[in-house]
Amino acid sequence: MLFNSIEYLIFLPIVFILYWLLKSSYKNQNILLLISSYVFYGWWDYRFLSLIIFSSFLDYYVGLKIDETAEASQKKRWLLVSLCSNLGLLGIFKYYNFFADSFASTMSTIGWEVNDLTLNIILPVGISFYTFQTLSYSIDIYRGQIKATKDMVGFFTFVSLFPQLVAGPIERASNLIPQIENKRTLNTNLIKTGIFQIFIGLFRKVAIADNLGIYVDSVYANQDIHNGSTLLIATVFYAFQIYFDFSGYSDIAIGSAKLFGFNFSRNFNFPYFSKTLTEFWRRWHMSLSFWLRDYLYISLGGNRKGIILTYRNLLLTMLLGGLWHGSSWNFVIWGGIHGLFLSLEKYTFSVLKINTFNALGYIYTFVVVLIAWIFFRAPDFTSASSIIGKLFSFDFGPAFIGDINAFVNAIVLLSLGVLVDLKIVSSNSSLENYGIRFSSLNLSVIVSVIILILCLFYSTAENFIYFQF
Amino acid sequence: MDSKTVQKLLKIVLFTVVISYALDKLVFFSLNKISDEVMTGQAIGKLNQFLSNKDSTEFFVFGNSRANHHIDMSLFKQKGYNMGIDGTGIAYSSTLISTLPQHKKQLIIVHVDTKNFFDSLYDGGDMRALKSKYQRNPNITEALKKNNQLSSLQSFYYSMNYNGNAIGILKNYFKPSYNYKEYNGYDPLYVSKSQESIRDMVLAKSMTSDCLDNYIINAKALKYLKSIKIFSEQNPEKTFIFLTSPIHNDICDEDNKKLHLLMEELGLNYKDFSNLYKNSNSNTYWKDRTHMSDKGAEAFSKHLINTYNEFEYP
Repeated sequence: MLFNSIEYLIFLPIVFILYWLLKSSYKNQNILLLISSYVFYGWWDYRFLSLIIFSSFLDYYVGLKIDETAEASQKKRWLLVSLCSNLGLLGIFKYYNFFADSFASTMSTIGWEVNDLTLNIILPVGISFYTFQTLSYSIDIYRGQIKATKDMVGFFTFVSLFPQLVAGPIERASNLIPQIENKRTLNTNLIKTGIFQIFIGLFRKVAIADNLGIYVDSVYANQDIHNGSTLLIATVFYAFQIYFDFSGYSDIAIGSAKLFGFNFSRNFNFPYFSKTLTEFWRRWHMSLSFWLRDYLYISLGGNRKGIILTYRNLLLTMLLGGLWHGSSWNFVIWGGIHGLFLSLEKYTFSVLKINTFNALGYIYTFVVVLIAWIFFRAPDFTSASSIIGKLFSFDFGPAFIGDINAFVNAIVLLSLGVLVDLKIVSSNSSLENYGIRFSSLNLSVIVSVIILILCLFYSTAENFIYFQF
Repeated sequence: MDSKTVQKLLKIVLFTVVISYALDKLVFFSLNKISDEVMTGQAIGKLNQFLSNKDSTEFFVFGNSRANHHIDMSLFKQKGYNMGIDGTGIAYSSTLISTLPQHKKQLIIVHVDTKNFFDSLYDGGDMRALKSKYQRNPNITEALKKNNQLSSLQSFYYSMNYNGNAIGILKNYFKPSYNYKEYNGYDPLYVSKSQESIRDMVLAKSMTSDCLDNYIINAKALKYLKSIKIFSEQNPEKTFIFLTSPIHNDICDEDNKKLHLLMEELGLNYKDFSNLYKNSNSNTYWKDRTHMSDKGAEAFSKHLINTYNEFEYP
């Protein structure tokens, strides 16, 4: 079920009413949430529910085993069971074809023809997200940071809670399980901030991102016939499309969760207002970047083992972070570019003894992010290289506009989106708390204006970009 | 959730429903008023011009962007209007044809493409481009309702009828794109010097065959085609010509053969010009693989005049 669908518009209020009718027992509320979450996920393809249930069973059991075992080697063994099973599932569904294909290509370059090893596998929606969520649970118990939960329904709800099930935020057990295992309340602030964030999310996704996507798709589908100006505009549009698409999804997720009395972690903090790439990664897809920091970078040794190993760890973390997004070398290169520039920044800061750049840093960060996005969006390495080649050969003739109506709509909505972001940033508040300041009447006016914008400008993109990951 | 919170929530919901409804109507009726004055632009102006002239025009062309860019109305003797619109298909054409006056002699070209007829996903959604006339034109309203082309939210939020077009309408209201009184609906595609090399590159690119094993006619498309046939039978004074205009290099002709057979079975006057310029002309006739340039359109329009007895040079 998509957040931007009529089905969700019906689903959310029904679950909301039933949920608060059961307010006398949070355990009954959890049962309702679990059933609703499975309906939400099964709407897409019920067969893949078995994977979530398997993953939930596995980590529930492993968590209990790690907790009750005193011996360190035994704990490690159980952790390995969780790691191998979860990553194994992810490997089969997400990466098998990629590695099989890469293996065949490598063999053919040395003259060894290998039969087609790829399989017809469908990638289950959200597998990368819930796998990371269950993994972090087992690792946290292993590290002694949390205790294993004995509440099976509560744990299954933690894995599958519908607002964050398919594209995050990747919630930590330490944040979400205590909320699931306690009585939730709903107050006026949660209602206001929740409703405000849901509608801002819809505005970002349905109005801005989907309209930008029309131009981006048409240019990137035929990148070879377009000049540098067109490709630059399309890439800038894409930078905002992916930001408004994914942050919009997170906003609807966080806002929906608030209506059920949950506080999810923040996932975006106006990332394009960053003066360094390090800052960008503290503001972009925060739940993933903090996950990678805590479970990968630190596990590799972080910055505790000398300068060379710090750079290696940084690069490795970003390369794997890139691969997490999808089974293609383009994502690895995207991660590699970020890893390389993060390392260069670290080096520059240590040499110049500074912590950040001046205002030019905004431009530097945006340019690096923009170049990296080309690899993220282009269908393959050859196309990405060709786009970069055209941009750096300064082949800036008159730009292709395409459907003038769609182009103007995209520009107007993008400007509106940036103005909204600027307004919130300048208020020194966060989007998550911004709704508190409005009276009921003012909030209703704002929501009504957003509804009007959606009616006038909605586009019909079917999915959120991050669903493919 | 205490009673105070419930009250607050109900208040927000109620306020939102009332305010959004009022705001929607305010914008919708303002846009109605403005858009009725707009006579330029593809989104609304062209449709308004068609609706205001449809009873006095002798000759029409209906179809998608290929119809729009391939048939130069100024080359025909009859006073005509090219109602080809980007991204539309047989559903859009059939709905507009149903608005034509009964028992008036008119010559009508219906440009059809195989894409509509063998695309299993085609659902007649192109008809939704007419929704700005919902509840304001009886034929269009009936067609939209009968074919379930309206969102369930549309009966509450009317401004959805102007989805994607609001800015274009305002722009054309304050600054019309052209002099509509001299406009005949045909939009030539010019190829500038700088675009020639790109065009040549696109045309030179090898194409993989997109032939299917089995072509199944889309039931919706067939339904709209049959409704045009019924209309033509009810209006014998009107002459209908169905055609497919040239494309640069049609690799697969299975779909064309099947469409030809269908047209024959229905007894429709159909000619397929897909391969008219295949391998026999220079690139100057083309803007891209599916669209002809102004030069190509001129040659094709002249070819139509020479082919059909119904047409004459001015």
